Amino acid sequence: MSVERPPRLGATWRGPRIRRREPVLRRLDWTFPAPPLTRRELVSALPDRPSARPPVLLVHGAWHAAWCWQEHWMPAMAARGWEVHALSLRAHGGSEAPANRALIPIRHYEHDVLQAITTLERPPILIGHSMGGLIVQHVLARYSAAPAGVLLAPVPPRHHGGALDAVGRADPLALARALVGLHPRPRTTTMFGSATDPADAARWAARLEPEPWLATLQLVLPRPSHEPSQPVLVIGGGEDRLTPPHAVARTARELGTRAHLFPGMGHQLMLEPGWESVLDLALGWLDDVLIGA
Amino acid sequence: MGDTLVVGAGSSGLAAAKNLAEAGFDVDVVERERDLGGNWNFAGSGSRVYSGTHTISSKPFTQYPDFPMPDADPDYPHHSRVHAYLRRYADHFGVTPRIAFSTSVESATPREGGGWRVELARVTDDGTVGGELEVREVERLVVANGHNWSPKVPEYPGQDRFAGTILHTADFKRPEQLDGHRVLVVGAGNSGCDVAVAAVGRAETVWHSTRRAYWYAPKYALGRPADQLGDLVFSLGLPIRWTQAILEATARVVVGRYERYGLPTPDHRFLETHPIVNQSLLYHVGHGDIVPVPDIARFEGDAVELVDGQRIEADLVVFATGYTIRIPFLDPSLLNWHDGAPRLHRNVLHPERTDLAVIGLIQPDSGQFGLVHWQSVLLARFLTLVRVDPAAARAELARFAAGLDERSQGGIALVDSTRHLVEVEHLDYARALDRDLARVNALIAAAMPSARGAGWARRSSDGDRRVAARDVTAGAAAARSVAAQDGRG
Repeated sequence: MSVERPPRLGATWRGPRIRRREPVLRRLDWTFPAPPLTRRELVSALPDRPSARPPVLLVHGAWHAAWCWQEHWMPAMAARGWEVHALSLRAHGGSEAPANRALIPIRHYEHDVLQAITTLERPPILIGHSMGGLIVQHVLARYSAAPAGVLLAPVPPRHHGGALDAVGRADPLALARALVGLHPRPRTTTMFGSATDPADAARWAARLEPEPWLATLQLVLPRPSHEPSQPVLVIGGGEDRLTPPHAVARTARELGTRAHLFPGMGHQLMLEPGWESVLDLALGWLDDVLIGA
Repeated sequence: MGDTLVVGAGSSGLAAAKNLAEAGFDVDVVERERDLGGNWNFAGSGSRVYSGTHTISSKPFTQYPDFPMPDADPDYPHHSRVHAYLRRYADHFGVTPRIAFSTSVESATPREGGGWRVELARVTDDGTVGGELEVREVERLVVANGHNWSPKVPEYPGQDRFAGTILHTADFKRPEQLDGHRVLVVGAGNSGCDVAVAAVGRAETVWHSTRRAYWYAPKYALGRPADQLGDLVFSLGLPIRWTQAILEATARVVVGRYERYGLPTPDHRFLETHPIVNQSLLYHVGHGDIVPVPDIARFEGDAVELVDGQRIEADLVVFATGYTIRIPFLDPSLLNWHDGAPRLHRNVLHPERTDLAVIGLIQPDSGQFGLVHWQSVLLARFLTLVRVDPAAARAELARFAAGLDERSQGGIALVDSTRHLVEVEHLDYARALDRDLARVNALIAAAMPSARGAGWARRSSDGDRRVAARDVTAGAAAARSVAAQDGRG
């Protein structure tokens, strides 16, 4: 596994510089605020006894919804004494889809996460997967009270161009469909590592929903980014074709840390066999950070 | 008692306490009332909102940037929703347990060698301040006592012999107070317009007296909150004159000519007075329910004579003439007062002292909480600089002192009025805070070579943050945020 393989696309220019600080002026949010939602799905798993630890908020990726955390992670975390909540972004899962579904930008997803945060009693730890990892990077920068963040197979902060060729070679049709806002209908091998039970993979793949077109486009285009000030843990899968190891490693580097890679795992780090080791790593790291703070 | 005392648990005090605590300071808050919320705590004696008050700026401008107002709230929330929002903010960020309620600051005097001696008194349930004074010593004082509570009452000839009732908007809480009266509302601030509108249908007659002709901006334009549209015009980056012209043209399109409603023509350009956002006023003027009249010349027994010679037989005069800035517990010589307002760097940082700051002492042409958040962040960063590099902080004080004349007014020539003592144009002010933050952050980074030298790799594992915290005597949490945000300068 060659982690540092230079990407073909976007090798020389990696998008706008990461701004190290959240800006005071938020003109887009001021002039075009995210349309309010009346229904936003937030599922929770609570431990038997109230925990002294901060709550955890889980943010899913493109095509997914809160269900992807309910499968393994949420019951396991609650059993280990963590208060955990998972959100469905707008137009995903049980959350309302506003008019102009195709034109939802990632900024509106960040609004959804912040809205979910304000319903919690304490500042939560944020964990995001894939596109959710990108959203968590942005929200951490804006919401400085979050104690820490964990990024699973995150989309890189500035742009995803460097990973496009990997996706393109692995599953060109899925990529093409996704970029025009259709249901990607990915091959099982695109989404999941080789160790995944085909029945499980088929069951999960059936739950995928098409991602709004604008958000998908923003994932692959260069975009400005703000750097979180909190400790961040970056985790990737060695067989991941959507956010390949070199992309995850780059994300980690740009956030000033190193990626932890799980060989044999694909993109779905919280669903595939091996999810327990990923969870062990994340929770162990979080406990360390919380003690340190 | 912690090292930092915030005076007031209103929207400004809460933001100050939250951001200072997050930066590692041991913060306590004292609040005169039994509940937090300051002006938005309707039940409190210090609140100046009335039963029907809604925000003047829409949600995106009003809210704290890291704690948006709930989606369930409308564009312009009612004061009770704002109060609930402030409560959730304080609970969520753990500020509430830091607040000592029913506690009044009677005096604060500097100690020799730095820090403050603060005398606190209990406020009893009937609102009287009494009992034995409690003396506390703190390292630094953050004043967030608000600037919209001490009524500014004008004096006209014959006013003391007026047969009717004179009321300041500070004492206007419910529209029932106007029932059946012949009401003269004086002043065209947002409160004056609100009171005039609230009087319609309750009072027998409503006159609205203004010194000059104003621009009345609508709350909605083209189906969107007008302030959001206004910022869109601003973000075109045109010269301010052009921006004003576009906004004036928009007002002409959306509300039309004020003359058509029976109002005089504004004698100044748009934005040259603090914006009045009120669509209902024009509506009621057009229906004859509110009669616009010029300034008062004198009171005459049971009538009021106006500058144009008109006599108005009003029996209730409501002065919506604003508030004076007062910080009663601090000797004025300590705060560099000039012409009715403390002269401070960005209205926050003292040009000579690092142990005294004021939060919330601005009147933006937009929402308040968001700017106050960044004021508090700047204060927290500056106090961190004072800890890690006192010499650099002192050098900054000299820079503050030299730049006190700089007012963030976006190149707009404001009409000369006490109303504009602390007026700021929100975009210009936000940019100024942004520049200051960049500067202070760079100075902090320069003062912490251990954090800077290691570069990106510093955050490679969970442990380094703790190492950074131990490196610096500044206190673990302060160092944590320093190493995290700017350690790589």
